[in-house]
Amino acid sequence: MNIITTARVKSPWILHFDTGSCNGCDIEILACLTPLYDVERFGMINVGNPKHADVLLVTGPANRRNARVLRNLYEQMPAPKVVIVIGTCGCSGGVFHNCYNMLGGIDKVIPVDVYVPGCAAKPEAIIDGVVLALQRLAERSESKPALAEALA
Amino acid sequence: MLMVDWFMATTILLPALAGFVLFFVGQPAIRRLTVLALSVILIIASLLVLQNGPFTYSPRPLAGVAWNQLLVAGDAVLVALFFYFGWRARSGLIVGLVALQAALVAYLEFALAGVAADNAPLFYVDHLSIVMALVIGIVGSAIAVYALHYMDHHEQHLRVEPSRQPKFFFSVLLFLGAMNGLVFANSLPWLFFFWEVTTLCSFLLIGHDGTEEAQRNALRALWMNLVGGVAFAAGMILLETTAHTLAVAEIAAERQAGGALLGLAFLVVAGCTKAAQLPFQSWLLGAMVAPTPVSALLHSSTMVKAGVYLIIRLAPGFEGTLLSPLVATAGAYTFVTAAALAVSQSNAKRVLAYSTISNLGLIIACAGLNSALAISAAVLLIVFHAVSKGLLFLGVGAIEQYIGSRDIEAMEGLLRRVPLLTAVTMIGILTMLLPPFGVLVAKWAALEAAARVPLAMLLLVAGSALTVVFWTKWMGRMMSAAPSSQRLHVESLSPLFSIPLVGLAALAILLTAALGWVMSGLIGPAVSDWYPTVGLASGDNGLVSSVGAFPVWALLTVLAVLVVVALVASPVREKSVRAVYACGENLAESGDTDFRSIGDGTQAMSLGSYYYVGVLGESKINRWANPIAIALLVSLMGVAIL
Amino acid sequence: MITPSIALEILVTVFALVVAPLAGGLLFGIDRKLTARLQNRIGPPIVQPFYDFIKLWNKDQIFANRSQLIYVYVHLGAAMASLVLLVWQQDMLVILFTLALGGISLVLGGFSVRSPYSQIGSQRELLQMLAYEPMLVLAAVGFYLVTGSFLVAAVFARGTPLLFELPVIALSFVLVLGIKLRKSPFDIAAAGHAHQELVRGLLTEYSGRYLALIEMAHWYELLLVLGIISLFWANPLVVGFGLSLLLYFLVILIDNAVARLTWTSMLKITWSWGAGLSVLNLAAIYVLSYLGWIGG
Repeated sequence: MNIITTARVKSPWILHFDTGSCNGCDIEILACLTPLYDVERFGMINVGNPKHADVLLVTGPANRRNARVLRNLYEQMPAPKVVIVIGTCGCSGGVFHNCYNMLGGIDKVIPVDVYVPGCAAKPEAIIDGVVLALQRLAERSESKPALAEALA
Repeated sequence: MLMVDWFMATTILLPALAGFVLFFVGQPAIRRLTVLALSVILIIASLLVLQNGPFTYSPRPLAGVAWNQLLVAGDAVLVALFFYFGWRARSGLIVGLVALQAALVAYLEFALAGVAADNAPLFYVDHLSIVMALVIGIVGSAIAVYALHYMDHHEQHLRVEPSRQPKFFFSVLLFLGAMNGLVFANSLPWLFFFWEVTTLCSFLLIGHDGTEEAQRNALRALWMNLVGGVAFAAGMILLETTAHTLAVAEIAAERQAGGALLGLAFLVVAGCTKAAQLPFQSWLLGAMVAPTPVSALLHSSTMVKAGVYLIIRLAPGFEGTLLSPLVATAGAYTFVTAAALAVSQSNAKRVLAYSTISNLGLIIACAGLNSALAISAAVLLIVFHAVSKGLLFLGVGAIEQYIGSRDIEAMEGLLRRVPLLTAVTMIGILTMLLPPFGVLVAKWAALEAAARVPLAMLLLVAGSALTVVFWTKWMGRMMSAAPSSQRLHVESLSPLFSIPLVGLAALAILLTAALGWVMSGLIGPAVSDWYPTVGLASGDNGLVSSVGAFPVWALLTVLAVLVVVALVASPVREKSVRAVYACGENLAESGDTDFRSIGDGTQAMSLGSYYYVGVLGESKINRWANPIAIALLVSLMGVAIL
Repeated sequence: MITPSIALEILVTVFALVVAPLAGGLLFGIDRKLTARLQNRIGPPIVQPFYDFIKLWNKDQIFANRSQLIYVYVHLGAAMASLVLLVWQQDMLVILFTLALGGISLVLGGFSVRSPYSQIGSQRELLQMLAYEPMLVLAAVGFYLVTGSFLVAAVFARGTPLLFELPVIALSFVLVLGIKLRKSPFDIAAAGHAHQELVRGLLTEYSGRYLALIEMAHWYELLLVLGIISLFWANPLVVGFGLSLLLYFLVILIDNAVARLTWTSMLKITWSWGAGLSVLNLAAIYVLSYLGWIGG
């Protein structure tokens, strides 16, 4: 890995967006920040601002109400970026599947890199998902065409 | 030698004469030609006086009548005019003040025979007068030229018929002549005469638009300045009876004591009224009702500068006395209080007015600190403040004619709407605020000079911090992005606007670049005429004082390089532009003007500045500020007797 | 003509400009590690700020408008210039003015976008400047009263440390540092690392390379303020550095122990406890030098 890729992998800043989850997964994400799991040791920071974020964590299913908000936040993140959905709802719609106002999983709205299923997803699973996403980020960063595409 | 008398006489008499001509000749073409020609002549004449250097001069009797007798006649005319204005407005206050002033002056001129007995030269031109004459000549002329176009537009806008411009330009030009007379005069009664002429002109100009508000504010300016006139006359009587001289140069040449010191205290109070120091600030704030060139004139090169000029001029006379620290404290007090008041203002002209009052307070504080370094700071400030503030008023006035408002809140995204005017106005603010421009160099020198005078130093520190707040808040509004729906629109400016504006903007920057020359050629001599040293010298990288150094050129270079780097290194790629973060609720089509709100409704994003009215509002501050200011001025009187 | 002394000066300047951001970044890394330890966490590696910097530098460049970028360069340049002035042992007041120039530039950058977060952040940043500037200028006045000059060189020329005469003013730098580092309880304009306030306050609309440059300016500013604190014990300077690190640690401790305050409380605290006590310190100097007990 070159220095830029290393830096990218070591400094994933996170934007967390809840499209309408039951808050179960959100609680688990916050648990990751506590001393027990301490994701800041991997350089992760919850920034709350798409313009500063590298990783978009989405909880909840994609629905008609806030699909455009989701898309807007995704577009406001500068490349290279990765998207992780946390929880079954975000992966496929979960218990809300086929509801009148549902679009389904998050990947119906924006491209998703990593799916972390679970209801709710455990902090360990979330951390695993982030690590996987960082691998994707590293691959993308190392391969010139993919990076060029990401930055285009 | 003969020639330089003429140059000086030109700067005084020619504007007055041209004013009279324009009063009777109403053709716009003649007016333009006269004002333009006069501006050029005034600038050349003041430069020639500069080139010649200091001299003294007493004119020969005019057709067998001594000039001092003419002075008595002139004073009588002024008294009659003031009396008439007071009587017409049914103002007992003004009539009373005029009567008091007339009595004092009559006592001085007839009972004490103060003027007639004086053998001192009528005019005493030293480097300080020359600096002032240059400021009046250059900045004043720029304002007069600007007024040509401004007043046309102004009268069109107000539908004034027939034009009142003859009267307006009469007052403006007479004002310039009177200011030149004031700075060249050596005899205090003559200085007083010119002083009262400036009062008259400001009264006429403030009331020019004739609205009820204008009339009221003009009358307020009149009575407040008449209070100053009374203090001036009382001071002259005290000086005549105790120091037995009314020649400025003689009074300043030695340290005064006792009654003469009290006389100086009275003159300082007179200076404070003219310089609109607290508690007299309301006349200058009220003066904003007048057309903008009037504000520019009053704030930058004339009127208020007469007040600080008088105090600086007399400062050597009270050096080392108790009066010095008291004046320093009073000035520094106005500096900080006016700066605090400026924070709560959303009216651009009121911000400028408070900033003027604040800076004049700083100048007076420097005069009170009364060391060579402090006086250098004061004169530096006079020069740089005049240029920047003149520029700011002209800029704001022009902006007002374009956008129809002088409210800072209405100036959001101004750069997109009137880029040229915004740029020059920004230069005005930046040269007032940022290092290494002249005003800040002066502030630096003032702080270094004040470090041994505890109370004044504290007030200056607090005032400097507040100054940053109100300027930056305003700049922030002006430089804020326009809603992206707004197209860039470059305004077309009349040359009568662009020449004074661009000229003053260039001058504001060039004078800083040429600070070494300004210091050694203009300000240094003005200080060393009266003080053993200058306190400031130009060193390798900028200015050097005995206790510090300001690397002006190094910083100016850094700033220039940074701006160039920033412009070159900031790429503009349309596809890199993103709307601002609005919690994901931006409306795609509007970018950063609207966002989606409750029930999918469209909500306009409106942004505004903070004004802290609850903490720093006028009503909050004035409650205690004015009584304290009065107490400070009274203390000048009381302690001078001790 | 380059004489040896000028060559040395250039060398020192370049050294300062290169080492300062490295040291500043490292100190911020230590800060994050310490904060984590204080919260019973492991925390990121101490080189974390550099990872952040490199990552940000290589992100896609997006912005709201062009003018916001210009202010970043002036902000960074002013921070560098003020550090260079300190290294050249120039006038304290000029150093502070230059620092303020950078501050004003950043505020204007925040104002230059139509974002409520960034504009409110800018307003608050102005209040922060209003809060710490008097303390800094009073410190400069204190230096002058003790050494007889505003030049930093005079501090080095003096044998005994300034700390003995100016203990309270030295302590007031805890407040200055706290505000400049965006630490609780004064992180109201834009909070540091994992904290959030007004999204990211006046930095909300800066991203990628420009955020990295602002971060770098922050490192320079940290070194500048620590450098000024070191002047309180200039001979030997090592002790001064120790002193500045001590205050830095104190600020981190306070950051972890207290909650965020409103701007009114900030102004009250800084103007009364900070500037007010500094004034008492200066008053003591005036009195003592009047009595002839200390020179100056």
